[in-house]
Amino acid sequence: MARVTNNVAEARIDQALVARSLGANDRRAFEQLVRRHQGMVRAQLRRLLHGDHAAADDLAQEAFLLAWRKLDQFRGAAKFSTWLYRIAYSCFLQAYRKKPLPADNGDELAADRLPATSPILDLQLDLERAMQRLSEAEQIVLLHCVQLGLSHEEAAYVLTMPLGTVKTHATRGKAKLKTWLAAWSEAVNEERA
Amino acid sequence: MNHQDDPIEAMLRKQFEGAIADDGFSERMMQRLPPRRSRIAWPLWLGLLGGAGPCWLSVAGLPWTRVSWRYWTDGSLSTSTIGLLLAMAGMSLLACWWSIAEADDR
Repeated sequence: MARVTNNVAEARIDQALVARSLGANDRRAFEQLVRRHQGMVRAQLRRLLHGDHAAADDLAQEAFLLAWRKLDQFRGAAKFSTWLYRIAYSCFLQAYRKKPLPADNGDELAADRLPATSPILDLQLDLERAMQRLSEAEQIVLLHCVQLGLSHEEAAYVLTMPLGTVKTHATRGKAKLKTWLAAWSEAVNEERA
Repeated sequence: MNHQDDPIEAMLRKQFEGAIADDGFSERMMQRLPPRRSRIAWPLWLGLLGGAGPCWLSVAGLPWTRVSWRYWTDGSLSTSTIGLLLAMAGMSLLACWWSIAEADDR
């Protein structure tokens, strides 16, 4: 309940900042919007680009520039963050539709962050590998629905996919991960109990 | 089982690094932000009038237009009236397509 109230309050702040950016041509208001949302937009793009930080930041800049230009087209039907994710995803698609994606260095990143023999590292590596075995669409849907915390409807809007397709990819992706990571799932459940 | 309890979702959320620290990104971003182009309406209306006015003047005097117009006001559909209506519909569609393309490019 508190989370819902918080989301509503956040959405209102965004709406007010958008109105100020447009009405008074207030660059500071837009800067506030950038500061509020850059973290998650960059996280989304880093995941989509398999950890290529520089390319993700370039695309994030492009996405915010596009948002600035198209700000008057934001009607408030979706949350501002969701609208931004959609722009960022479309920038990603345009940039990488014809180019191969950089090789995944998720294993390398996880290895950098944790001691070599940690069971958490093992879990992270297994999860990274399992994610890579999923289809591209399943990976992208799980990123948006689970990791970025969007609803299926919001993910469908961001990815311009039919709602049914999003739900199917999410269910199939999770089912595959459940099978491949059965041992870890049990461990996580035991840890919680 | 709700989504919060799903162990796979829990693992995926745990694996996600979350929001990235700013580290000067917003500042660099704002330096690249171009000034907003203010939209002035009068050139659009001037262009529309400039196009529609001469177009009407050149077509209005033609006998074909007068005949079509007469049939139209009488409520009967002749070939020339249908031609006139089709021409108007075609021009409207073109204008509509142009507006959508312009809005998308902005």
